[in-house]
Amino acid sequence: MAGIRIDSVTKSYGGLTVLKAFSLDIADGEFVVLVGPSGCGKSTMLKILAGLEEASSGTIAIGERDVTDLAPGDRDIAMVFQNYALYPHLTVARNMGFGLKMRGTDAAEIDRRVNEAAKILGIGHLLERRPRALSGGQRQRVALGRAIVREPQAFLMDEPLSNLDAKLRVHTRAEISALHKRLRVTTIYVTHDQTEAMTMADRIVIMKDGVIQQIASPDVMFREPANLFVAGFIGSPGMNFLKTKAQAVGGGVTAKLFGHDVKLPIANAAALAGREIVVGLRPEHIAAGAGQVSFTVTPRLIESLGSEQYVYVDLPEEHRRDAGSGGEDESRRTSLIARLINPEPRPPEATLTLSFDPARLHVFDAASGEAIR
Amino acid sequence: MKRKTTRHALLYAGVVLTCAILVFPIYWLVVTALSEPSLLRQLPPSFWPSEPRWGVFGQIMAEKPILLWLGNSALAAIGAVSLSMVVSVLAGYSLSRFRVRGGQSLGLFILTAKMLPATLLVIPLFGIFRNLELIGSLWSIILAHATLIIPFTTWMLKGYFDTIPRELEHAAMVDGCSPLGAMVRVILPVSAPGLAATALYGFVLSWSDYAYARTFLTNAQGNWTANLGITTMKGEYISNWSDISAASILVALPILAIYLVLERYLVGGLTAGAEK
Repeated sequence: MAGIRIDSVTKSYGGLTVLKAFSLDIADGEFVVLVGPSGCGKSTMLKILAGLEEASSGTIAIGERDVTDLAPGDRDIAMVFQNYALYPHLTVARNMGFGLKMRGTDAAEIDRRVNEAAKILGIGHLLERRPRALSGGQRQRVALGRAIVREPQAFLMDEPLSNLDAKLRVHTRAEISALHKRLRVTTIYVTHDQTEAMTMADRIVIMKDGVIQQIASPDVMFREPANLFVAGFIGSPGMNFLKTKAQAVGGGVTAKLFGHDVKLPIANAAALAGREIVVGLRPEHIAAGAGQVSFTVTPRLIESLGSEQYVYVDLPEEHRRDAGSGGEDESRRTSLIARLINPEPRPPEATLTLSFDPARLHVFDAASGEAIR
Repeated sequence: MKRKTTRHALLYAGVVLTCAILVFPIYWLVVTALSEPSLLRQLPPSFWPSEPRWGVFGQIMAEKPILLWLGNSALAAIGAVSLSMVVSVLAGYSLSRFRVRGGQSLGLFILTAKMLPATLLVIPLFGIFRNLELIGSLWSIILAHATLIIPFTTWMLKGYFDTIPRELEHAAMVDGCSPLGAMVRVILPVSAPGLAATALYGFVLSWSDYAYARTFLTNAQGNWTANLGITTMKGEYISNWSDISAASILVALPILAIYLVLERYLVGGLTAGAEK
């Protein structure tokens, strides 16, 4: 096992740059998740790390070894692919032992390690089957087993759960986390699913258009998003954004929200007065009933999930951001979502008082999208 | 209901008619081989000889060096197919996997070679082989057949390799294979159905050639292939069509046997289970 140092890695295809100066230090035994929408460069970074693609510039070190120019097989890493990539002509046992065989490990040792890994993953009874005779979940375990038997310096996982159904995905997600706790092998995991990132990662690297937006632990990323993109991507449903203007009042700064002058939780208020800002409010930080800042709404739609309700409210015109400013769809721009826990049943057309605590607000610069604290 | 039945009846009639058209020449070849030569021209024709000449095959093999001809055909076909497979596996794999400048044009250029009629190449090839002193040698038709087989098999294999997920090679490379090693150890075994179909295509093409053998091998009786040998059984004034038909059946049998052996590969489906 070893740490990984990625230093200013860039990847271009002709004039198109898909990865821009990507730098990341990963500690030994750490579970790092690269997350972002399609085309953000996360899979490209993983392939460069594996040696399957060449970086246009930059260096990669695994442990103390510079592996930038090494072949994939010489990097001592194992990879789990989105579509499993099991060798269809080999049995499960031979699939798992293939990497060891390539490295000249003797047959008895291969057998021992394959059996050990099969025991960990509960696939001992499948060893003589071919991949085509396995279910999706079983194939996924074999793919994990193939990575484990190698006892590599690091695991690279490229959206390994995306082909599983929802239930199996939750189950396998927990299994991979448990496996990581047991083996403590440095793991880099790529996904577009923020739930996977939040539940599995020691640290999340969130990417957009080939650029790292923020590197932080799941809690920090949720509580202190670096910019509008991160704030909107992490959390489900995503954060509500309200356009407004900052005003200096006394030593602090306020903004008009739903007709109230609300004091913003900002340390450096002086520079902000008079600027256009976007205030972020997470759906779960909105409560039913009166509170510190209350407002009355008529819900457009209420979705009930039993233990919680999603209340959709039309956002007042003055709080709507310009079209296309955040990249999300039109309904997110014009709606506010409140996530009410253990709600009382209510008819959808009835007016409803909602409230929030101003200390929970996030503030972003409207022009740059960067967080202001 | 009635309309559906009529449609089915028409469909089956069509299938039966097509099969009859395809199978009739083979049936007639067998009838001709087993009939007395003197009875071949009788009207109305006999659809099955009253006394089939089952001994004709043994007699032909005793009279003519059929086994030698078959051996030469086999040597030429195996040689041409082996050479073609080595070249077209590498070429097809490269065209499928590597994006290089001009790669697509190169691929199309290879395909245009297939569009040229085989006879167009006979004279230039004759010139080349004469300079290389290969006229009369089996090498001449091995090389000539390879020029016909390679363009098509390269494209067949490229198409087959395109269907194999790249992640398989990636997995093999992460497991410690070189790019060539990943191809040999993973991609080729997975491509067995494609390779078998391609090899069979090449074998049939080489086995059924007459023009090249006639041009390059006429003066070397010991190297005659089966097709060339059979045509020498046709006399200037009298041709024994029964014997020629019997010899033709003997020549067709190896291809039939190969089809039966490779049939399970030709059906394909080996890649099932490689991915989701």
